[in-house]
Amino acid sequence: MNVEISASVQDIHAVVETVNDPEYPGISIVDLGLLENIKVNKIGEVVIQLIPTFSGCPALQIIAQDVREVTEKLSGVKKVDVVWLNSPVWNVNRVTAKAEKELSEKFTIAVQIQDRKVKCPRCQSETTIKSHFGPSRCRSVHVCSGCNEIVETLRD
Amino acid sequence: MIKSVLPSAIKEYLLAFADDEHLMGQQHTEWIGIAPFLEEDMAFASIGQDELGHASMLYALILEDSSEIDAFIFNRKPEEWRSCQLVESNHRNWEEALIRHWCYDMAEDLRWELFRESSLAELVLISERALKEEKYHRQHADALVENLLTVPASKSRLMKALEEIVPEVVELFSSIPGETEAISSGLVSGKYCDVFSTWRLRVENRFGTLDPKLFTTSHHQSRIKRHSDFAPLYGRIREVFLLDPKAVW
Repeated sequence: MNVEISASVQDIHAVVETVNDPEYPGISIVDLGLLENIKVNKIGEVVIQLIPTFSGCPALQIIAQDVREVTEKLSGVKKVDVVWLNSPVWNVNRVTAKAEKELSEKFTIAVQIQDRKVKCPRCQSETTIKSHFGPSRCRSVHVCSGCNEIVETLRD
Repeated sequence: MIKSVLPSAIKEYLLAFADDEHLMGQQHTEWIGIAPFLEEDMAFASIGQDELGHASMLYALILEDSSEIDAFIFNRKPEEWRSCQLVESNHRNWEEALIRHWCYDMAEDLRWELFRESSLAELVLISERALKEEKYHRQHADALVENLLTVPASKSRLMKALEEIVPEVVELFSSIPGETEAISSGLVSGKYCDVFSTWRLRVENRFGTLDPKLFTTSHHQSRIKRHSDFAPLYGRIREVFLLDPKAVW
């Protein structure tokens, strides 16, 4: 007889996926590569391991709280621990193609995928880096060679 | 969360680093809105944020409960801090702030490198993360300084600032409480002052040969006594916290 009363990893993954990065409303933290692991036991105790994009990110508490709230609402979940890991270190290659497209279309933000030239989200021309430090800690500033616009670029 | 069971000498050693990082981060963030140009305003904000993040990772190792980090930072007596003079002193000029950023970040990676093979696994991970971020700090500081040194008026101001700041860096490298225990326990691979020559080489490669006396003069306080600028700085840092110390952020 199956007496399992806990939620499944898949159920939990599905709700964690609904949590957006507070800096990019509409873009899932899972697509940005923040979710590292989900553990759940038979009595519904859940541990969700996340990795921060960078160590001084001020949004960590809000993200952890959002993840905890959506997970606690699942039936079969008794206790939720959200843990920020120091390893692995986040990098832009963890960003999914879906999130890359959304960042480009909704926020005109490019992504600095390793060894790939950063293209302007507006005109697709190549860009050159102007500063590693932009309006937010995880964005560098590039300039488009085609339209001369500033291209904010997600970086690690 | 793993409970911290580090010996007190080791905690003291890590505290010096954490406090340096925290105050350096706070000092950088004071340029938000008033840096001479927008790019620097943003860079100092981001770099400061990184240093505050590094400090938090170290405080989390020292404290038994990471939820106490804020209270620990904002509710300590001045004599309980272990920061160095370089991060406590109030450099009001932009050139001094830039030179301090350059000097501090050219010293910081050398400090994290000592943890690469630490006996404390978590420290190895933290240093890996910090070193990745520090690469950008050095690139930023050095590119700007390199450019400014080509302008005679900027160069003379930078060189004057450098003469003020180098002796403070000497203290940063020396006499870290708990260092002997940190080395014998394998927490750290060597004395920080042993890599001072690497730092000095970086300085003289960028700025040219300096008066050797600058590298031996230290405002030596052993990190026990606070700089006279600490009290007003700490006042600004705690201002919001003290409005409602029990508030949840």
